[in-house]
Amino acid sequence: MPQLRMTGRGLWITALIVPPLAFVALFIVYPIVSAFAYAFFDWQGLKRLDFVGLENFHTVLFVEPYRSWTINAFKNNVIVFFALMVLQNGLGFILAYALWRELPGARFHRIAVFLPVVLSTIIVAYLFKLFYHPLFGVVNITLKGIGLGWLAQPWLGQSGTALGSIIVAQAWHMVGFPTLVFLAGMQRIPSEILDAVRMETESEWVKITKIVWPLVAPSATIVFTLLFVGAFNWFELPYIMGGLDGSPFGSTDVLGLYFYRTAFGNVSAGQQDFGLGSALAVLIFIFIAIVAGVITTRLRAREIQL
Amino acid sequence: MARLSLRGIKKRFKTTDVLHGIDLEIGDREFVVFVGPSGCGKSTLLRLIAGLDPISDGDFFLNDQRMNDVPPSRRGIAMVFQSYALYPHMDVYENMAFGARLMGLTKDEVEKRIADAARMLRLDALLKRKPRELSGGQRQRVAIGRALVRKPDVFLLDEPLSNLDAALRSDVRLEIAKLHRDIGGTMIYVTHDQVEAMTLADKIVVMNAGRIEQVGSPRELYETPANTFVATFIGSPRMTLVDVARDGDRLGVANGGSVATGALPEAKNLKLGLRPDAVKLHRGQSGEGLSATVVYTEYLGDNAYVYARLADGTLLSARTTPNDLFAPDEAVTVTVEPGSAHYFSAEDGRRLTP
Repeated sequence: MPQLRMTGRGLWITALIVPPLAFVALFIVYPIVSAFAYAFFDWQGLKRLDFVGLENFHTVLFVEPYRSWTINAFKNNVIVFFALMVLQNGLGFILAYALWRELPGARFHRIAVFLPVVLSTIIVAYLFKLFYHPLFGVVNITLKGIGLGWLAQPWLGQSGTALGSIIVAQAWHMVGFPTLVFLAGMQRIPSEILDAVRMETESEWVKITKIVWPLVAPSATIVFTLLFVGAFNWFELPYIMGGLDGSPFGSTDVLGLYFYRTAFGNVSAGQQDFGLGSALAVLIFIFIAIVAGVITTRLRAREIQL
Repeated sequence: MARLSLRGIKKRFKTTDVLHGIDLEIGDREFVVFVGPSGCGKSTLLRLIAGLDPISDGDFFLNDQRMNDVPPSRRGIAMVFQSYALYPHMDVYENMAFGARLMGLTKDEVEKRIADAARMLRLDALLKRKPRELSGGQRQRVAIGRALVRKPDVFLLDEPLSNLDAALRSDVRLEIAKLHRDIGGTMIYVTHDQVEAMTLADKIVVMNAGRIEQVGSPRELYETPANTFVATFIGSPRMTLVDVARDGDRLGVANGGSVATGALPEAKNLKLGLRPDAVKLHRGQSGEGLSATVVYTEYLGDNAYVYARLADGTLLSARTTPNDLFAPDEAVTVTVEPGSAHYFSAEDGRRLTP
């Protein structure tokens, strides 16, 4: 039998590995596994009742009113994902390109663009709530000031504009992240390749679409995947800016809020159901895992070894 | 047709002057090599001609047309980069087609040009490969092919052989020489390797510290170097420079004997330039030459080089036959073949003629 000798080095490594491993097991693996387990039971408050098989899953997917709520929240997540893809990643790419080309003031802007990422989500949320205030908000005051007063809205107070307004706040908050990742990708492109392109064309459009974009593919994989996971786990901003019910009228409801409400209840309804909540959590987890897996493998295939 | 004319070209990076006024004429179909030590400004000059960096001062004409403000892609110039700079996400065919398509050529024309270039450079079998699947020599040929399909007036090559191993280097050197004969364009080639310069060039431009030291054919540079810099830069092993004082028709080294070298220039103090084949070594110390001590001998098979230290500390290199080897610390006497020495001013290093 091979003997496991505890040398000084072995002890040292063990001492370093065990605490984080225990932490991950306790706070990540255990909750996920238990959520899977909870989803198959009927619950009354914190009391576990009978094993009900797939009934909780059936309820959240096919039984009204859960069915409509699920569809509504999912639809909003899809909107958030595509809107952020354009606003956050698209803008991030353009900003990264501008910073990379060392336009005047690039040093200052490199920091300025990333600064909001460092801010706490709570601060960003309250800041934008103030910005969007119908009477005193800087958005409406500015619009009135430049003669566009007819555009002033109660941004967070009406179904048509609430979700979009929160998305803009999110994009402002996080745009520095894809910018940074894209910028790092661009800085990895050898300068002689860029010189070679300049010998063949002076069109920025050709340079971006045919050379820079394909060569930052590894960065795109990272930001696309993370954005996807982030968009379908979205919680903090809509929670603070739109409330737990996704006000007004569910227009800012997303899967994260909907899951929280279902599992833990809310102030007005007070009703809570761990079984349905866990079923939702499991569905969200599986959906994100599968799609993120597909995105990653598909995009990886397109990556180029520089 | 491509004639290049550089007039008073200067380049400044922030406050540092890199090129101090370059005047140079390059004729049609010429193969010109810029050669010089690292940091002499030869690559900078090439980038100014390409248009990759702006010219700070002076004028650059291509066929009598001022090019200073013309973007690189419209100068009719193609460049082969040191690292090849192939587009890693495109296969060989696409790498060559990219620039050709941007020139607005028809699909058939692009295909024909690539087929021609591929045949000339033996790339036919590699057209579907990605750059990372190619060897260094193959990448080099693709980079040249990419320049060829654009049919430029001028080819610029920036140290194209420096990433190849020694064996491949001489092969590719021959191919480049052949290519120049076949396509007949004007080529400007940058290197720090004087052997490449000597073997390839119609005209060599020797640069040092942002200035042109001399322009001429390989033979001119070797036989009549304009100054001590060119004299020691061209030729291997390098020319030995000895500080000598004139004593009648002999030249003397301080405490180290004197030597007769034939007709002498006027000046009293000179720098005597001796190529390895201009001197003869004799065993033992006699009065009829410069006394020296052997440091070591390089045996090269067909001949040998002996390095010996003169009385004033100068290291002298001499070519001998492989049958005539010298042991370290052996005392020798150096004589000079009449008429084969070079003379330079002791003050500014310029060439002096007898």
